[in-house]
Amino acid sequence: MKGLLKGLGVTFKAMTKPKVTIAYPDEPLVMPDRFRGIQHFIPELCIVCNQCARVCPTDCITLTGKPNPDPEKKGKVIDTFDINFEICILCDLCTEVCPTEAIVMTNNFELAAYSRDDLFKDRQWLRDNNKNVRQDNNNIGAPQPGKGGAK
Amino acid sequence: MIRTEELLLNVGPQHPSTHGVFRIIVKLDGEVITEATPVMGYLHRGTEKLAEELTYTQIIPYTDRMDYVSAMTNNYVLCHAVETMMGLAVPERAEFLRLIVMELQRVASHLVWWGTYLLDIGAMSPFLYAFRDRETIVNLFNELSGARLTYNYMRVGGVKWDATDAWLDKVRDFLPYMEKKLVEYDHLVSGNEIFLARIRGVGRYDAETAIDYGLSGANLRCTGVDWDLRRTKPYSLYERFEFDVPVGRTGDCHDRYLIRLEEIRQSLRILRQALEQFPSGGETMGKVPRVIRPPAGEVYVAIESPRGEIGCHIVSKGKQEPYRLKFRRPSFVNLQILPKLLVGETMTNLITILGGIDIVVGEVDC
Amino acid sequence: MGGMLDDTLTWGNAFVFLLWGVVLLVLVLGFVTYAIYFERKIIGWMQLRIGPNRVGPLGLLQTVADILKLLIKEDTIPRKADRVLFMLAPALAYVPAFGVLAVIPYTQDLYFADINVGLLYYVALSGITTIAIVLGGWASNNKYALLGGMRSAAQMISYEVPLVISVVGVIMMSGTMNLRGIAEQQGDWFWQWNFLPQIIGFVVFVIAAVSELNRTPFDLPEAESELVAGYHVEYSGFRFAFFMLTEYVYMYAIAALTTVLFLGGWHAPLAFLDFVPGIVWFLLKFALVVFFLIWLRGTMPRIRVDQLMGLGWKVLLPLAILNVFVTAVYLELFVK
Repeated sequence: MKGLLKGLGVTFKAMTKPKVTIAYPDEPLVMPDRFRGIQHFIPELCIVCNQCARVCPTDCITLTGKPNPDPEKKGKVIDTFDINFEICILCDLCTEVCPTEAIVMTNNFELAAYSRDDLFKDRQWLRDNNKNVRQDNNNIGAPQPGKGGAK
Repeated sequence: MIRTEELLLNVGPQHPSTHGVFRIIVKLDGEVITEATPVMGYLHRGTEKLAEELTYTQIIPYTDRMDYVSAMTNNYVLCHAVETMMGLAVPERAEFLRLIVMELQRVASHLVWWGTYLLDIGAMSPFLYAFRDRETIVNLFNELSGARLTYNYMRVGGVKWDATDAWLDKVRDFLPYMEKKLVEYDHLVSGNEIFLARIRGVGRYDAETAIDYGLSGANLRCTGVDWDLRRTKPYSLYERFEFDVPVGRTGDCHDRYLIRLEEIRQSLRILRQALEQFPSGGETMGKVPRVIRPPAGEVYVAIESPRGEIGCHIVSKGKQEPYRLKFRRPSFVNLQILPKLLVGETMTNLITILGGIDIVVGEVDC
Repeated sequence: MGGMLDDTLTWGNAFVFLLWGVVLLVLVLGFVTYAIYFERKIIGWMQLRIGPNRVGPLGLLQTVADILKLLIKEDTIPRKADRVLFMLAPALAYVPAFGVLAVIPYTQDLYFADINVGLLYYVALSGITTIAIVLGGWASNNKYALLGGMRSAAQMISYEVPLVISVVGVIMMSGTMNLRGIAEQQGDWFWQWNFLPQIIGFVVFVIAAVSELNRTPFDLPEAESELVAGYHVEYSGFRFAFFMLTEYVYMYAIAALTTVLFLGGWHAPLAFLDFVPGIVWFLLKFALVVFFLIWLRGTMPRIRVDQLMGLGWKVLLPLAILNVFVTAVYLELFVK
């Protein structure tokens, strides 16, 4: 009987304890800076090195480049850049390898959609997804000024 | 004479207490089980086969999704295997961070088990109490690695993120908090006579059977076998810390329950020591070649996950991708004893025993 | 109104009865609506949650919305089910649940039927619900439902026995089976109420009553972690609502019965608090019992079938009989 009564005591006391419920859809959830949300893509920085597409474990990134329209400059510029969020697992590897930080993580995570087609995000959409961009990208691939090696 | 026949009952894959898409076909004589056939594979994703096409870094996010309740230990076993193969040294700070997150993960995993087990037994509240406290750990991980469940935190040769001092302080604050909560858990559940009546003497087996079936973790220790890989085959930095390995005597669900709760306490103890000894500076990433290409050969490493011995067997042909990768998943191995345990038990005990084994279907099916 | 029952039945009388019946029904539905709301709220608080708070102010309309949803749901009957029994079971479960409320007195003057064997009437009628639950489980043609129905048959039969015997002591002390009479017998101070002199009977009664209600820790017939939903696993929409309604109406009935039998009915706990109307005291005690039932649900795990049977036959029944003996000896030696 003692155990039962102790248990009843715990639940009785819990009635006045602070509640853990959060008013999520009404109040947005604030995620810590390192949170891995939907990627933000900056086409101007991209050098079409294809590393993100290669490192992606689920092959959800497809990209194509085109020759630089400015004849003065060498290299390519990005033409199309798509991420298929049906299969993206937000593992952070693409942002980790990007040498120019052209692709970075944001803290946005709301991806629910009524159609699978809506989950196919193109270059423009990813570019406009520029809110809550992650500050510290801890980019292992890129040389980082002021930081001791790959941290 | 009335003709009676056995009732063939299909428990799962959509059943509230099979912890995911797991299925057992049971033959019932009244409420007594005469035969039980587990059917698994509803969550099979072919992780091991997929891994043959992926580089080692790419496999890490897949390991998160095996035992999704304890992703950190999965991360570790893969990285540890590759490091062993390549003879890489991991910086001390990184190793400390790994150990801290693994022990936090053990606490979180046991909390999930505790809550869901009580839910199986019919008490609703403990589930929410456990998840309240697990939430603290999950938030810590979120702050550290940027995800709440699939952390993808470790890398071959180190860890991806360094911990800030503020984060370490939060872990420090968590330890006394959790110890206080454990007392509350004991008050709420551990002494409850109904609960004790439900789990005492249920699902008993002896040490010999447990070893024959290859059980590990709390499922083995409940029979009195003192076998914890953190102690018996130390990896990481466990040799530096003092902790007890709780063992049971009777080998029933009650012992498993007590062992898991005690393991939370011991994990907190390890965490306290680890935070004291935590190096103030240093790298979090060792000297790793740009392309991870382990030499041809084989390696098997095993560590103690919250569920038991999780092992990783890699066969390399000196390429970027493994030739063959095999995970020894404790949930899968521990589950094999289930048909034997269930014969002669009632439908109610089926849930108690299955819950007591502590499976994660993502890991069973892999 | 009790007096009218003795008159010859005329159209006018019948109309009055019907009217009162409807009033009681509305009251009971109101109780059920808010009992569910409070149950969810209180369990929510106990589990560190807020509970329903979205529909209406403070979530007060949550249950209304839930019932509305059940009403407009598609009515499904499994193809292989026994249609007639399947449809009959929810009604058969509910009618006795509502029927037992007739004998419960609320205050000295506020009651519906003043039957001399009120307690027997209650026990007899509530037994019928067991049949309905077995029927529902059987007619669904579902193995989980069948197991749930069988469990509930075993459970309710074995717990009805200690339930009835546990109140024999009360009957002996008050010398009547009339619920109004029993309530009236209990004195003005709370230690004169039946629950203290009849402490064994009271404890047995409460345990057996929780079991009769199929509530945690005795909710085996619908043990969701084993039998998914037990006997009503195939029921949906309005029929399911009827089973739920039955459950909560019994909660109402048992809470009222406990109040009347053991907690002094409408009497104030201390004699000088007499000035507060009796109905307030009745409702307070009633609410206390309901809260206790909810509280149990928020804390307890579920007991196992064999342990349930063992507890019923090996512990509660002997205890109840012992109580009868002790009461008899006491009455023989000291009162007579």
